[in-house]
Amino acid sequence: MNWDVIAENLPLYAEGAKLTLLLAVVSLALSFVLAVPLAFLRNGRVPAVRYAVLGYTLVFRGTPLLVQLFLVYFGLAQFELIRASVFWPWLSSPMVCVLLTFVLNTTAYSTEIFAGGLRHIPVGEIEAARAYGMSRRAQAFRILIPGMLTRSLPLYGNEMIMMLHATALASTVTLLETTGVARRITLNYYIQFEPYVTAAAIYLTLTFVLVSGFQLIQRRWAGYLESRIG
Amino acid sequence: MKAILKSLCATMIVAATLTTAQAAETLDIATDATFPPFEYIDSEGKLVGYDIELMQAVCEAAQLDCNIFNAAWDGMIPGLIDGKYDALISQLTVTEKRRQVIAFSDIYDRPIFRFVAKKGAALDITPEGLAGKTIAVQTGTPMDAYVTSHYPTATITRYDTGSAPYLELTAGRADLHISYQAQVIHGFLNSDAGKDFELVGPQLTGADAKEFGEGVAIAINKKNEALVESVNKGLAIIRENGKLDAINAKYFGQ
Repeated sequence: MNWDVIAENLPLYAEGAKLTLLLAVVSLALSFVLAVPLAFLRNGRVPAVRYAVLGYTLVFRGTPLLVQLFLVYFGLAQFELIRASVFWPWLSSPMVCVLLTFVLNTTAYSTEIFAGGLRHIPVGEIEAARAYGMSRRAQAFRILIPGMLTRSLPLYGNEMIMMLHATALASTVTLLETTGVARRITLNYYIQFEPYVTAAAIYLTLTFVLVSGFQLIQRRWAGYLESRIG
Repeated sequence: MKAILKSLCATMIVAATLTTAQAAETLDIATDATFPPFEYIDSEGKLVGYDIELMQAVCEAAQLDCNIFNAAWDGMIPGLIDGKYDALISQLTVTEKRRQVIAFSDIYDRPIFRFVAKKGAALDITPEGLAGKTIAVQTGTPMDAYVTSHYPTATITRYDTGSAPYLELTAGRADLHISYQAQVIHGFLNSDAGKDFELVGPQLTGADAKEFGEGVAIAINKKNEALVESVNKGLAIIRENGKLDAINAKYFGQ
């Protein structure tokens, strides 16, 4: 066992954990903002829009995240046209490529989770809202969105955990997040157990915080569904 | 049910002993096949290259039964230390730091290291000249150690494979890459992707910086002194009978 190496590299791990957290938080926040309206469009009245959203979620749920990341990071860079375009200063940055891919990927999953939640709102609730004479906007903000989100909470919680762990893929395109730090130590000190156990402990801690927060939210906002589940 | 489980267990135990018995005879030799022309996967999916042919010749000469296969670079040296592999052949540079954890055969080549950059980039290969420039390297290689200690003001990006830095060069994300000169020429400059690039800066060897080590050798588990001996014997035989010269001539025309 060689824990001295880990102790020496703790500052590097701290930097890595910070980057892991940043990647997860930014991806999840952006994807949440996108997935809520997309869930409505996915259940919307216009078939063309409905199928367009379905097409998008199928493509991004139907291919591995790593393949998507390589396509965006290495694949797009192959085209002279893209390298000469106004997007290149953005696309040449690994950070932008990683966030773009993560957001597109997790938005696809979140959209389907939310759309499923929306379909499971009892018809009675919507009829009651109409009977009260609520405008469509009021219906959406008072009934549909809260009902959809609370029903999606357990599944969405899982998606958030998966996204947190998926940030490990960022290390394949030079970003030194938690897994990247572990791999770099492996390559420079020729040990594997200690660096990866340390990385695992960091992910476990972050997940624990996330799960605890989720339980609080569930109790506070989704409590009214409890009796039905139990 | 119990009887079935019992016989199943028995078969598994027999199978396990059989495979370990076989493993003891065949040597597992790992290589990181992202490094043409030394070790790479050809268009038919076969493991080929200078190191592969050399290893096969050594095994034949020393009468060893070798199984050479592709493995990920980041697990290779730890895998050798832990006994997962019997030996590694992957243009491994002999350095003081590596000697502390693994054993090496006799040195079979002394590579030259060289920077590569876009034609006409007119880069000044000094620590001051490369300040702020991006240098792409494969993590944990002598080249990584060299640029990390000699070009602290440059931005160094590190990759798991030997081939990714070239993608970054052609994409324009990296200004420079440093690797074995022969690999740069045969694996990149001679290909279509490398036509706009050229070797830059001086030819570097272990004499210029200690990070480049003494030369390249076959890595072997420290406890397996017998294998070091037989590999060295094999190397001596192919050096003498002209086989090594033939492989050199085939790949580098010397």
